[in-house]
Amino acid sequence: MEEALLKISEVSKHFGGVYAVNGVSLDIKQGICGLVGPNGSGKTTLFNIILGLHEPDKGAIYFQGKRINKLAPHQIYELGIVNAFQIPRLFFNLTVLDNMLVAARGQQGDRLFSSLFLRKSWQEQEKGLIDEAMGILEVVELSHMAFSPAAELSGGQRRLLEVARGIMAKPTLLLLDEPAAGINPELANKIFQKLEEFSHNGITFFIVEHRLEILFDFATWVYVMDKGSIVIAGHPQTIIDDPTFYSVYLGEE
Amino acid sequence: MGPLLYGLDVIVYIGIFGIISLSLNLEFGFAGLANFGKVAFFLVGAYTYALLSQAGVPFYLCLIAGGLISAIFGLVVSLPALRLRADYLAIAVLAFGEILRLIVKSEYWLARGDWGIRVLPIFPWAGSHLVYRLENIGLVFFCLGICFLVVQLLANSPYGRAMRAIREDEVAAEALGKNRSKFKAQALMLGSAMAGIAGGLYAQYLQYVLPGMFMPMVTFTVWIMVLLGGPANNWGVLIGAALVEIFDRGTNILKDYIALPVDPTNLQYILFGALIIFVLLYRPQGLLKESGIKTKALRSVFNGRSSTKDKRS
Repeated sequence: MEEALLKISEVSKHFGGVYAVNGVSLDIKQGICGLVGPNGSGKTTLFNIILGLHEPDKGAIYFQGKRINKLAPHQIYELGIVNAFQIPRLFFNLTVLDNMLVAARGQQGDRLFSSLFLRKSWQEQEKGLIDEAMGILEVVELSHMAFSPAAELSGGQRRLLEVARGIMAKPTLLLLDEPAAGINPELANKIFQKLEEFSHNGITFFIVEHRLEILFDFATWVYVMDKGSIVIAGHPQTIIDDPTFYSVYLGEE
Repeated sequence: MGPLLYGLDVIVYIGIFGIISLSLNLEFGFAGLANFGKVAFFLVGAYTYALLSQAGVPFYLCLIAGGLISAIFGLVVSLPALRLRADYLAIAVLAFGEILRLIVKSEYWLARGDWGIRVLPIFPWAGSHLVYRLENIGLVFFCLGICFLVVQLLANSPYGRAMRAIREDEVAAEALGKNRSKFKAQALMLGSAMAGIAGGLYAQYLQYVLPGMFMPMVTFTVWIMVLLGGPANNWGVLIGAALVEIFDRGTNILKDYIALPVDPTNLQYILFGALIIFVLLYRPQGLLKESGIKTKALRSVFNGRSSTKDKRS
């Protein structure tokens, strides 16, 4: 059997008396993995736990066999787990291109010493990074805004930049929290096609998405979450045929 | 002769306060740290310089030591302070500055408390105030130039980009791999080192140090310089430093030239307050707005794009 890229084992997290995540176990393998469920079912909390933004009360998370749930967010990022936030958290006074460049992993110039004294080497690296960033911006149709402040982007464009920034980091695992919300269907479809392309190049996606029709077209595996627990897991086709899935979404047996 | 000497004196002050403004710009303008204890590091630099120079240490070592010891203080303050939210950080460092001032004021053995200590000038007395001031202008602006270069290079590098990202949204920056505690601690250390060097120059120029020279008002004056000139713009904060210094001295000597119904010196603080309110209301970005990140590679891409646009049109 194929080794899981990310293994979540019996993770729980409660806020006050409410269990946001309750004994969740799941495996993420290569490809596009979806996570769906009604609002408040704990999807974003689970993401934040993976990213190290919340510490779980119980359980463990392994990434490529290494336990990660005691690491700081920036260390988890360096391992290759990158996130695009649900509500875009851009650096609004920086340009679109600078937002992209911040995200690049393994930069030589973001250390105090090398930024001052090894200027040649990071300047060389930055040339390559700019080309990469412009290429990704081209895909999400933002390249014409590259030198504008991110604050000038519309809501949909902000979301695109948030996703593009995640891809810029060349992650092993990219967590996307509702990448298609607020984007017109045509472009949303295009984004997912691009994601599929990237997934062939070795990026694994773990995606929360309410627009099931798009997600189910592309996902290779889907987890359904309700009230903090995973209730069903399987291929999109089997999920659609499962009566529990409808009861979760519609609230009735 | 009088007005010329006075003008030169103002220029020395502009240089010294320009260095502190640049250091606050690094901390606040780029990294977003509200350091309301700036004067503490100025004090540490000045007293280090004074005590070491009394012990016969050469002046350049005194200056460097002032910077280093101030940087250590910056690091020590940063450790507990960086766990605090921005507004609490401001209060904590403000208190730190006052504590240091009260310590040098009451511990007589350290530096003779309120009596202060004399500092020997670097430059041998050439028999003229003019020469003395020109020599000091040279020294101060040499240091200012180095500080400006360092902050300017940092601001226009991936390091500066990461700092600005932390200022904009520290949680997002942390999730994008930037260790915010490290960046903040480094910004405070570097900023404190620069303030320490400015303190050394100040002690050297005035030839004495007293606790009364390091009131919290010094911090606020530097803040006015930065906010007026434009945070995250190094040229802006230098202009701010020059304007505030000239305004400060101008109101002091105005009464010597014009007959006014009130003493402008007393009006100064009111005017400063009004000025800062006006700036924040009507031009919150300061006189010059934030300068974007300019690296060699970015500039060439930007120029390439605008030239292809020109060809099309």
